[in-house]
Formats: sequence, C-alpha cells, structure tokens
Amino acid sequence: MIDFSSLEGETLWERWQYFAQTTPEKEAIIHWRAVEEPVRWTYSSLFETANKFSVYLKDIGVKKGDVCALIIRHNPYFYPLYLGIAGIGALPSVLAYPNPRLHPDKFRQGLVGMALRSGLDWILTEIELEEVILPFVEDDATTVNELYFPLEWDLEREIDSESIQELSDIRAEIKPEEPMLLQHSSGTTGLQKPVVLTHEAILKHVKNLGKVLNLSDNDKVVSWLPLYHDLGLIGAFHIPLASGIPSIQIDPFEWILAPILLFMATSEEKATLCWIPNFAFNLLADKLSTEEMEGISLESMRLLINAGEPVRAESHKKFHERFEKFGFKKSALTAMYGMAETTLGVSQTTFGEQAKEISVDREMLASGTVVFSDDKTKARVCVSSGEIIDECSLKIVDEFRNEIPGDAVGEIVVKSVSMFSGYRNYPEKTDEVLDKDGWYYTGDIGFVVDEDLYVIGRKKDIIIVAGNNIYPEDVEDVVNKVEKIIPGRIIAFGEDDPELGTEQVSVIAETKLETEDEFDKLRVAILRAGMEVNVNIHSVYLVPPRWLIKSSSGKPSRKANRQRIINKTDEKVWSKND
Amino acid sequence: MISDRLKKIICNELYLDPSSIEINDETQAPEVPGWDSLNHANIIVAIEKDYGVRFKGLEILKCNNVGALQNLVDSKVSD
Repeated sequence: MIDFSSLEGETLWERWQYFAQTTPEKEAIIHWRAVEEPVRWTYSSLFETANKFSVYLKDIGVKKGDVCALIIRHNPYFYPLYLGIAGIGALPSVLAYPNPRLHPDKFRQGLVGMALRSGLDWILTEIELEEVILPFVEDDATTVNELYFPLEWDLEREIDSESIQELSDIRAEIKPEEPMLLQHSSGTTGLQKPVVLTHEAILKHVKNLGKVLNLSDNDKVVSWLPLYHDLGLIGAFHIPLASGIPSIQIDPFEWILAPILLFMATSEEKATLCWIPNFAFNLLADKLSTEEMEGISLESMRLLINAGEPVRAESHKKFHERFEKFGFKKSALTAMYGMAETTLGVSQTTFGEQAKEISVDREMLASGTVVFSDDKTKARVCVSSGEIIDECSLKIVDEFRNEIPGDAVGEIVVKSVSMFSGYRNYPEKTDEVLDKDGWYYTGDIGFVVDEDLYVIGRKKDIIIVAGNNIYPEDVEDVVNKVEKIIPGRIIAFGEDDPELGTEQVSVIAETKLETEDEFDKLRVAILRAGMEVNVNIHSVYLVPPRWLIKSSSGKPSRKANRQRIINKTDEKVWSKND
Repeated sequence: MISDRLKKIICNELYLDPSSIEINDETQAPEVPGWDSLNHANIIVAIEKDYGVRFKGLEILKCNNVGALQNLVDSKVSD
C-alpha cells in the first residue's frame, strides 16, 4: 500500500514535481484512442510539457488566482495544459465541450451564467469554437479577458533561463491553503454551482480516499468519465496522478458509442480500478456481445466502484453474472457516495469487501423507519455506499435540521477536511447548504446501519440521468415556450428506467389539442425544445387543460402529478411510451 | 441513400412518424429528436435485430452520420 505520509509536496504542483523527479519514467497518463495507439505520458514528459504551457500562459498574462476555462475535446495535450495552468497558481476549470445538439445561443448563455458566478478570466479552447465563443468574449459585460487556442501553440520552443526563474518565483508563492481548481457541482446550462477546492483539501482527499481504496504502486485507474464531472476529474485524474499511479483516459463520446473500449483498455493495460455510474453497469452487461468480449480478461480489475447516481442491487447482480466468466471478481463490486463539495468521496465500501445489501420494508422506509424484511413483495433491497472515510463526519437530520438516530431516515449532512468553503460568488446558495459549524446539507436522503451509509433518495427534485444532474426547472423553462402548450402548465420529472439502471426525463404538459396527429407534432416540438438545452426528454405525456394538480404554492406539483402518471390510472393521458 | 427500412427502424425506436422527420445521408444522431447516447444503443440493437446482423463497437464508432450507418448495414447484409 502507498505510504501517503512519505510522499512529498504540499501543493499539487509540488506533488507532481516529486513524482517527475523520483519516478520520471513511470507512466502517468495513458491517453486511450479507439483506433490508434495510445499516447503515453510519463511523469517527466508530462511535467516538462506542463512547464512549457506554464510559460505560454504566463506570457499571455494569466496570473495567480485567475480562472482558466478549458473547453477541449479528448486530446493528449489537455493534461499538460491543465497542469501548466496550476503551475502558475491559476485555477483550471474544465467545462463540457458543446454537444452538436446544443444550440450555440444556449451554449453562450450557459457561459454567461457560469462566468457571472465563477468569474471566468480566460477561455482556452479549440479553433472550431471560435465563432461560437467570440461574441461572448467580446461582450463588454464579460469577465473574460481573452480567448486562446493552446493546442496550436508551438511546444518545440525551448524555455529560457529567465522564464525558468520567473516560474520558480511564482511557484514558491503558491500556498497549500490557496485555491487549486474550480469545478461545477451540478446542473444544466447556467445553473451550475462553482466549487473551489484548495491544494490542501485535494491532497488530504487523495490520502483519505487512497487509504480506503488500499492504493498501491501497482494500481492503474481506467476511466471514460468526462473530466468536467467530479468523479472523472478527482477520482480518475487527480487521485491517481497525485498518488504516483497511471490513469487510462478514454474519450466519453467514443465510449458511449463503443462501450467495449473500457474493457479493451482494462484487459490490455491490466487496469485495477474504475469508477462508473450505475447505468454503465446495465449498459455494459446488456450491450456487449460475447463476440466483442472475445479475448477480453477482467481479472486485473480489483475495484469497480459504483458512484454518481443511486446504486441498484440488480445492476450489480446482472453485471457479475454477465462478466464472471471473463474473470470479473464479485469482490470488485463496491460503491462510493460523494459530491463535488467534499472534493469527491464521503463514504466507500471497505477494501476487501463487496458492497453490502440489506432488505428493508419499503413502506416503513417511506415513512422514515428502517425495518428489515424478507418479504419479497414488500421489501426493497438497499445497497450500501460504504463506511465514512477518514477525516469526514456524517449525521442524519430531520426536516428541522435536528440530528436523528442514524438508522432513521433523514437528510445526509457531512463535514470533512476536504470540504469546499462555499460556492464562489453565490452567498445565498452557500447559506442554504452550509451552516455556521461547517456542516454541509447534501439534500440526499439516507440512513446508517452498522456504520454503513445507505443513500435512498433526494430531498429536491433533481433528475439524475446516467450520472448527470438535471434540474426540472431548466427543462420546464424551455418546454414552456413551445407553441400549443398552456403556458405554465407543465412539469418535468425523473422517471425510473430499471432496464437502463438510471432515471429518464419525462414531461407532462397541458394542451387544448385533441387529435393524434396534433399530439404527435407537439411531442416532437417538445423533444426539440429539450435538445436546445442538451436534455433528452424521454417521455412526453400530454393532458387536457386543468389536469395538473397544483401544490399549495399554486404551481403544478411535480410530486403529485408524477405519481398520477406512474400509477397509470388516468385515461386522459396521451403518450407514445406504452 | 437511406433506405425506408433503416429510417423506419430508427423512427420506430424513437416513436417518431417517418413522414414528418427528415433523415438523410448527412443526418447526425444529435439532430434527430430523442436520439441521444442512451437511446443510441437501443437503436443499434434494433437495427441488428431487424437485419439479422451484428456490429462491433469499433465499427459503429466510425459511423459519423446515418449514411455511414446505412453503408455499414449494407456491407454486413452482402457478406
């Protein structure tokens, strides 16, 4: 096991430098490509190239504390660029590359909203996006200084001694308690909450999570997760890099089209560790044919960690049954619970054990009490997200924020040494979730049994689709503008899709239309509205005027109307999903 | 040229009316309502089932539009 106390470096840059000096030839990042050979960065080559980027960034005027937004597709030079930003004390912030389905105006609006809170100072992107982003950068109200295309920079250029000295002076001033990166906690366009993390918070997390994962020098992380997501950025990128072990990075766009890539990389590189959201367990088990699996071995995988969305027992079962014959070990099925606000992890299955499952009475659970039950007709199997990691505390509270016994169901509240200090430029949101004693109110509902945390739902109406958080308000806003819908008479909600092992976005809208043909056209218009904000609306339910039940606030109730749809008792509902 | 058969499979899977949706050689998945990454796998399975063919993940990866997907189907059918 890695002895984290022996690793040098109090800032991330110092830690990377330590590995570049002590294990220069060890692989740091294996940039995986579907049809070409991977690009392999060693600690020394990565570090040297990062230095070159640091010089460029310094020369264009990037200063310590500046936020540099990175909007770049899967590219081998992304990693040294990211390091190079940190290497001058600026804050890298990875943003999603716009999906072709996202309307350019909506993408720009998202940037404007983000810049408002996050205070983006520089945008580092690809030439292809110049036309889309330039109007935003040239706007007088923007915080952004300039737009640059670092992939075009000449990296053959030698660094002169004066620059080396300047970099060294800048780096000497970077302190562990200072901000290192900015990541966005969740949400769709413009509603993301900016989380700033310090070097100290991240390095403590590397140690605490590294310990519970029992990381050793022989480990190798494999990941297809996007790096704008905390699971990808912290779990699959920062943790291995700051622990001196390699990570294999697969393009998320390629992976979703060809899921076999994850197992090809695992098998060829003998990867040992991987984080994936629950839906990916189903997708891999359901979609990979035996023909595709030919020659693949999953024997090296010692931990496959389910995180990012609620963990489902049936997904684990299905995955194990499908891949056991390819060497996949049941003990690798583990789970983690965490969030961007705590750097990443809060709890993790204890090393050497499989994620625990308990069977509890479903109705009692809904009323807030955990009662074990073997009655299959009444029971719900809950999967544990493991024990609380070191230097992290957790309590369960009631709706008045009073602590309740752990085995009662309530909101999960956490405090840790790797915690954020509040959302950047968003005091009202910070006050909602962070109390004066430093406890963070997660909005997730769960309970604790025998020191194991079980997460069973959410306080808010957030929809989690394949690990991505979507706010129903975002969907409702765009759908509300669709013609032939009664304005304001619409709700969006998450609908369980057991087959995919995740939730899907559903919409109920009131309309005066009456014919099948009109309904068909309205459905497509609603789907297109969702596409504008890069949300795929899976089910559209059209209902007559005054169908939606109002809540006490006078707005249509998401909860009550969702239940009406799920019960399937109303004949006045039109949909295509029967 | 996209065959009516391929278009029908895609539209069926997405609950779309083929007569009201334009799908041609150049069409890319994100332009079609409902065709997102999660549905993509279902569409591919539906095509495989209907034509009685099997695609490899990496073959699909090379298809950047519906025209390329049609070519891939045609090459499998003629094998």
